[in-house]
Amino acid sequence: MAHVSVPMYWRTIPQRYKMIGQKCKKCGAVNFPPKGVCKYCQTSSEFEEVQLSGRGKVHTFVLISAGGAPPEFAEQEKAGGQYPVAIVQLEEGPKMIGQIADVDPKEVKIDMPVKAELRKIYTEEEVIRYGFKFVPG
Amino acid sequence: MKKVAIVGAGQSRYGDFPDKGIKELFFEAYKDMNASVDKGLDPKVIESAYIGNLGSGGFQLGNMSALVTEYCGLTHINTMRIENACASGGYALVAAVMDVMSGTHKAVLAGGVEKMTDVSGIKQKYWLGVSGDTEYERLAGTTFSGLYALIAQRHMYEFGTKREHLSMVAVKNHKNGAQNPKAQFQREITLEQAIKGPIVASPLNLFDCCSTTDGASAVLVCDAEMAKQFTDTPVYVTGFGTASDFLAIHDRANTTTLEGTRRAGAMAYKMSGLTPKDIQLAEVHDCFTIAELLAYEDLGFCEKGNAGPFIEEGHTQIGGDKPVNASGGLKSKGHPIGSTGTGMAYEMFNQLRGTVQKPTRQVKGAEIGLIHNVGGSGGTVAVTVMRR
Repeated sequence: MAHVSVPMYWRTIPQRYKMIGQKCKKCGAVNFPPKGVCKYCQTSSEFEEVQLSGRGKVHTFVLISAGGAPPEFAEQEKAGGQYPVAIVQLEEGPKMIGQIADVDPKEVKIDMPVKAELRKIYTEEEVIRYGFKFVPG
Repeated sequence: MKKVAIVGAGQSRYGDFPDKGIKELFFEAYKDMNASVDKGLDPKVIESAYIGNLGSGGFQLGNMSALVTEYCGLTHINTMRIENACASGGYALVAAVMDVMSGTHKAVLAGGVEKMTDVSGIKQKYWLGVSGDTEYERLAGTTFSGLYALIAQRHMYEFGTKREHLSMVAVKNHKNGAQNPKAQFQREITLEQAIKGPIVASPLNLFDCCSTTDGASAVLVCDAEMAKQFTDTPVYVTGFGTASDFLAIHDRANTTTLEGTRRAGAMAYKMSGLTPKDIQLAEVHDCFTIAELLAYEDLGFCEKGNAGPFIEEGHTQIGGDKPVNASGGLKSKGHPIGSTGTGMAYEMFNQLRGTVQKPTRQVKGAEIGLIHNVGGSGGTVAVTVMRR
């Protein structure tokens, strides 16, 4: 099941609420979300925590319609129509996937500047899940 | 190391079969495989079986390989389920080939089965779309159509690939599938229909996406030294390659290349002593139309970024110089996940022996073929090269 339980969610709060990345002590590259071994140099597992700015540019995007929405997002699609999801090239180096909010889906373009904000993602098991979405800017 | 041959191959009909479960579907493929062995097969020679399966909606997650093989009378043999998402069947074939190469067993079954239509639409989406990086990609509101759409959008941006190029894959594969009596969708579609399909995950529409399918397939792999006791026209496995990648697309340095395909292909070519130019036909993993275009590039059939013009010029049609998915592909033949890889081997076995059911779909005179099976959005990839 694609179900992400409350304990699974809880373990990833530093990424989802605060966008805490890992700066590799060997090569200096920033990993986000976290890895056991740095995905760039693939040799070091020593990191220091870094706070990401949340700012970046759209690398690529998709507009999700009813047929492409997972059931836990069906309500969102039904209420608001198709929604954009993007891979964003973050300022600090890593790319990250997330929805783009507060935008007319037709206006989303590659290279558009965006920034992350804490938003409601969905409700499951009667628990609201918060996390980041990107907004223009 | 032992040389390896394929001496029999079978496939069930692909489609929606309310009266058949995984046992019955697998038995249908197994009987078809036995019947394909020219000089007859005593099932007692089968010593080992690898079965590709994702999970059939989750109703038989444990010990399923023993269940489906004992139903066919293959009790007490070595057997295991192989799971690498949509590449499970391709990896089951590779496992069987390695088993024979090592000399552990001489005659080995590689198969796959999936029962997908017993599951309600809502449960289907919970069960599928979980072979990417679930914690991040799924939490952003995507299933696999969305992930492949992200790749398609970037491919269009970087290389000028057009909407029409995606649709040409669907039109070609439906045309081929219309000639395949075992395909799920045996009907042609027009380019206009394919372009104007209802949007699923823009830029991908309904005709860019494969379906959910019930089906099974099985091939008999053996030590090449004993192949002639089964048939005068075996197909030889000349090489294989398998490689993995970051599950999440955002973790990859390059969004428009499946690095797993590139590396698995390179390994299979090297082991075979062949180059992409030598491949005369291929079955590639077209779960979405963009995936077939990526395969042309990442397997070296054309230059990176040139897949759009490559299909437009007709190279990959039956009658072209590099026919791809003469079976109809996942798009038209169907995609019963665990069966897809060995289903490709079934098609290639028949293509290389000239025994395809309808002559209109036969690629004439082909001696060397490649099959390419992708798990998820490229997290795992298996490639096998065969020669008659």
